[in-house]
Amino acid sequence: MKGAIDFMEEEAKIIIFKSEAEMPPMAATLATTLYNKTGSWRYMRPLYVDKTPPCNDACPAGEDIVGYLGLIRQGRYREGWELIMQENPFPGVCGRVCPHPCESQCNRIELGGAIAIHVQERFLADWAYERGLRDLKGLKGIPSDPLDPSVPSVAIIGSGPAGLSCAYQLARKGYPVTVFEAQDKPGGMMRLIPEYRLPREILGYEIAAIESLGVEIRTGVRLGKDLSLDDLKDYKAILLAVGQSVSRKLGVSGEEATGVLHGIEFLRRLDQGEKPSLGSKVAVIGGGNTAMDAGRSARRLGAEVSILYRRSRHEMPASDEEIEEALEEGIQIEYLVAPVEVLTKKGQVSGLKCTRMQLGEPDESGRRRPVPVSGSEYTIKVDTVIPALGQVADLSFLEKDIKTEREYIVVDDSGATTRLPIFAGGDVATGYGTVTHAVGSGKRAALAIDHLLRGETLEGFPPLDRNVHAVPRDMAAIVVSFGDLNLVYFEEEPRPRQAQAPAKERVKDFTEVNRGFDEEIAIAEAARCFSCGTCNQCDNCLIFCPDLAVLRDGEKPYVFNYDYCKGCGICFTECPRRAISFEEEIKWKK
Amino acid sequence: MEKVVTGNYAASWGARLSRVQVIAAYPITPQTSIIELLANFCADGELDARFIKVESEHSAMAACIGASATGARAFTATSGQGLLLMHELIHWAAGARLPIVMGVVNRAVGPGWNVWTDQNDTLSQRDTGWLQYYCEANQEVLDTVIQAYKVAERVLLPVMVILDAFVLSHTSEAVDIPDQDKVDGFLPPYRPELKLDINDPHAFGPIVTPEHYMEMRYKMQKAMEEAVSVVQEVDEEFGEVFGRHYGLVEPYRLEGADVALVTSATITSTTREVVDELREQGVKVGLLKVRLFRPFPAEAVRQALADIPKVAVIDRNISFGHGGIFAQEVKSAFYNPSTSRRGEPFDKLRTGFVEPSGHRIDGAHRPPIFGFIAGLGGRDVTPESIKEVINAALGNDAPPEEILWIGVKK
Repeated sequence: MKGAIDFMEEEAKIIIFKSEAEMPPMAATLATTLYNKTGSWRYMRPLYVDKTPPCNDACPAGEDIVGYLGLIRQGRYREGWELIMQENPFPGVCGRVCPHPCESQCNRIELGGAIAIHVQERFLADWAYERGLRDLKGLKGIPSDPLDPSVPSVAIIGSGPAGLSCAYQLARKGYPVTVFEAQDKPGGMMRLIPEYRLPREILGYEIAAIESLGVEIRTGVRLGKDLSLDDLKDYKAILLAVGQSVSRKLGVSGEEATGVLHGIEFLRRLDQGEKPSLGSKVAVIGGGNTAMDAGRSARRLGAEVSILYRRSRHEMPASDEEIEEALEEGIQIEYLVAPVEVLTKKGQVSGLKCTRMQLGEPDESGRRRPVPVSGSEYTIKVDTVIPALGQVADLSFLEKDIKTEREYIVVDDSGATTRLPIFAGGDVATGYGTVTHAVGSGKRAALAIDHLLRGETLEGFPPLDRNVHAVPRDMAAIVVSFGDLNLVYFEEEPRPRQAQAPAKERVKDFTEVNRGFDEEIAIAEAARCFSCGTCNQCDNCLIFCPDLAVLRDGEKPYVFNYDYCKGCGICFTECPRRAISFEEEIKWKK
Repeated sequence: MEKVVTGNYAASWGARLSRVQVIAAYPITPQTSIIELLANFCADGELDARFIKVESEHSAMAACIGASATGARAFTATSGQGLLLMHELIHWAAGARLPIVMGVVNRAVGPGWNVWTDQNDTLSQRDTGWLQYYCEANQEVLDTVIQAYKVAERVLLPVMVILDAFVLSHTSEAVDIPDQDKVDGFLPPYRPELKLDINDPHAFGPIVTPEHYMEMRYKMQKAMEEAVSVVQEVDEEFGEVFGRHYGLVEPYRLEGADVALVTSATITSTTREVVDELREQGVKVGLLKVRLFRPFPAEAVRQALADIPKVAVIDRNISFGHGGIFAQEVKSAFYNPSTSRRGEPFDKLRTGFVEPSGHRIDGAHRPPIFGFIAGLGGRDVTPESIKEVINAALGNDAPPEEILWIGVKK
C-alpha cells in the first residue's frame, strides 16, 4: 500500500518563489493537498462499536432490552415485540411477573430511578395481544416450508417456561417437538401465579402462539407414571424440564392435620377454578413470592392473613413490590417468627404455636441463620396454615446414569446431563426459580440440542449464570457502566409508576392489579433510557466532528471517513453512551 | 432612521448592517452588550448569521479565523483581559491575512482589577498587524465598523474598531442608522480569491521556512502602508454616500495655534470644548484628533502640525519604561520627515559617504513634543485637566520631563 510519505516524495514539488510578488498574501499552498489527506495525522482511531448495556447483560432470558426500548421510543411497537420474541416467547408473562434483575443493574438508577423495563416489556406484549398477533409464522427465523419428515424430533418433559421456551426455539429451527405435561393444562409453574398478577388469557395466548408453530403439547402424561424414558427412544433428544413440584415440609407436629394446605397446592386449586374454604384466619409460612401469592390470594378469598417469616425483611426473597402490595392489601407480615407446632382439635387446625427468632451467624446461603429465642413461644389462633417454604424436584423417575446433586439434575454449560442426548433445564437443573431464568435455560438447551443434532460440538456455551442469545447480536461483550456515560447529556428524570387498582378494590376479586403504561408514558419512559453502549443515532458525533469525517451511509447509521479523521477523539468524548471506541491507530496499521 | 443607542449598540448595528455571517464571542464587561444585541438580531432572524458561543476569547478569535478563512464575513468583540487572552490568535488572524473586524471596548488591564477605560489593552496589540481605529462618538463607531470591512477586505488585514469603556460603550446618543440598501451598495459581499474550500483543498497556515517567511512579513507591511490610502479613500467614499466622514486625523482650529493638542477617542470631545472656550478668550490653541492609529498616519500628522510651534499629546495609556504611546508615535513621525530622493541600491559595499538629509541639514520643522499621561484606569479627564496640559505647554520652552503626569496624587 502506498503511504502518504510515498506520495509526497513522488508528487510534492518544492516551490521556491523568485519574488514576493509571486507569493500568495497568506501562508497557503497553491497546489492541492489531496495527496496527503489529514487522516495521516491520526494516531488514535475512533470506531463504532456497540457495547452491552447492563440491562441486556442482566436479563436471564437474554433479551435485547435496549433494542426494544429504542423501538418503543420510535413508535415501532411491532418490531419491538418481534425483537423480544426472538429470545423469549413469554413477554406478556415476564413483563408481569419477572423480578426484573435488568432494572437492578440499570444505569438510570443514579438519575431518577431505573427504567421500568418490565412495564415496557408488558406494553409491547399487550400491544401484540390486543392486535391478536398470535400467528408467529411471519416472525424472522421461523421456517415457512412444511417440515421435512427426516428432521429429527425432540421430546420435552414439562410445559413450564423452560420446556416451552425450548420447544419454541426448536420449532423455529424446524424441529418437530412434542411436549409432555403431567398436569391437565400446559404452563407449569406459570399456572400457579395468581390471576391478579397474570391473567390467564395472556398466558393462554402466549402458549397458543407456540403451539401455532406445530409444537404438540400432550397433557396429563407424567414421566415415571404414564411414561418412561425408554418410551422416548425414538426422539433424538430429550429435555427434562419438570420443575420442582414437591413442597418442602414444615417439619413440626400437627402438619398432617386438615387445614394445612401447601402454597403451591392452594394456588393450583385456584387455577383449577376452586375456591378452597380457608376459614377466617390464615397463617402463611415463608418469605418467598409463593408465600406472597398464597397470602394475597387468601386475602382475596376473604381471610385475615398473616405471613410469618423466620428472618428479617432484609433477607426476605420476595420482591419489594410484592411485599409492598401485600402490606397495602392489609396483610400482616411478621418477621423473625417460626412455627413450632400446628395445634389441632379433632384433626382440624385450631392454632399455631410459634417462637421468636433472632439472627445468628451467616449460613451457606450467606444469609444470617435464624435461631430460636428460648422462652419466647406464643400461640395464635388460625383456621388454615399455608406452608410456602419452597419446592424440590421429584427425581424418582431418573435412572442412575443421570447424575443429580442435592435434588438438582447436574448439567454442563450446554444444559446436557451426564447422559446424552438428554438435557435438563429450568428449575430442576438450575433452581433460579423465576420464569425468566427458565426461559433462558430452555433456550440454552434448544441451542445445544440443535448443535448436537447437527453433529456440532456442545462446547463454548457461556456459564449457566450468563444469558444466551438465539439471534447473534453485533454487540461487544463489554458492559457499559454509569461512569462510562457522558453525563452532561442526561438529567435526572423520575421513573413513572404504572397505574394500579386501589388496594381496597383489588382484595375483592382476582382482577389484575397492575394496569401497565399507556402509549404516551411508554414512549416517554423509553426516551429516558440512556441507551448504554448502543448507538441510537443521536447525531452528536456527526455534529461535533470538526473535520466533517462522520458520514451517513445507507447501511450503518454512521461511518468514519478515515481519510480525514484526525483522531482527535471528540466524537468518542461526546458520545453520550459509549457507542464509540477509541483505539491506538497502530493496532489498525499493517 | 435615527435611534438613541449606546456605543456598544452602535457597534452591533454596524456589524448587522455589514451583514456579518459569523459572530463568535465571549462575554466580558464592558463589551458584552455588543454581542448580546447581535445575539438578539440572530435569534429574531433580523441578521442571517451563525452565532457561535465559545468558552474563551481565544476560541472566539479562533472561530472567527476559521470562518473568515472560508470566506465568511466574521465579527467579534472583546475588552481588556479578553483581548489579551486572544493575543496569540490576533497575530494569527493578521498573518493569515483575514479581514476580520473586532469591536474592542478599551478597558484597563488588571491588576488592580478595573473595568473602566484605558488604552493599554489595545495598544499592547499594536505590533500584531491589525488596523486600529479609535472612535470618538457612537455614530463614528457604527460608521467605522462598516468602513472597516471595506478596508479590511481590500488590504486583507483585520481591523479593530475601538471605543472607550462606559464613556462611549454605555452612553446613549442619537445615531443615524443607515438604510441596509445603502450599506449594501457601499459594502459588497466578501469574495476572497483563496479560501478554505473542501472541494479545492489547500493547506492554510503551514510551515514557512526562512526561504519565504520574510517576504510574507514584507507583504504585510506593504499592505499596512497601502492601508493608509485605502482608509482615506474608503472614508471619502463613505462621505459621498452617507454624508459623514472622519479622515485619518481630524484637525480642529489649528490655524495660527501656539499649541496643538493631540488626542484620541473621547478625550477629543472634551478637548474640543476646551479649545472653543480658550479660543473665545484669545488663547491660540488647537486640536488634532488621531482616528487611525495603525497604520500610523505619520504624513497626515506631520502635515497637520506643520506650522505649530508646540505639540502636546495626551495619552490614556503608558508604555512602561518609555511613556505615552501616541506621544512616541507623533515624535517618530517628525524624525526622518522625508525619504531619500536618490533611492540608491544598497546591495553593494560602498566606500563613499553620502551626507544625510533631514536632521540638522534640511532645517525641517520639529516642534517640541510634550507627552502627557492622563485618565488611566477610567479617571475622568476633565476640562480642568486639559487646561493644565495647555498651561504646561504654553509656559515651557521644552518639556520639563519626558513624561508629564496629569492629576497624579503625589
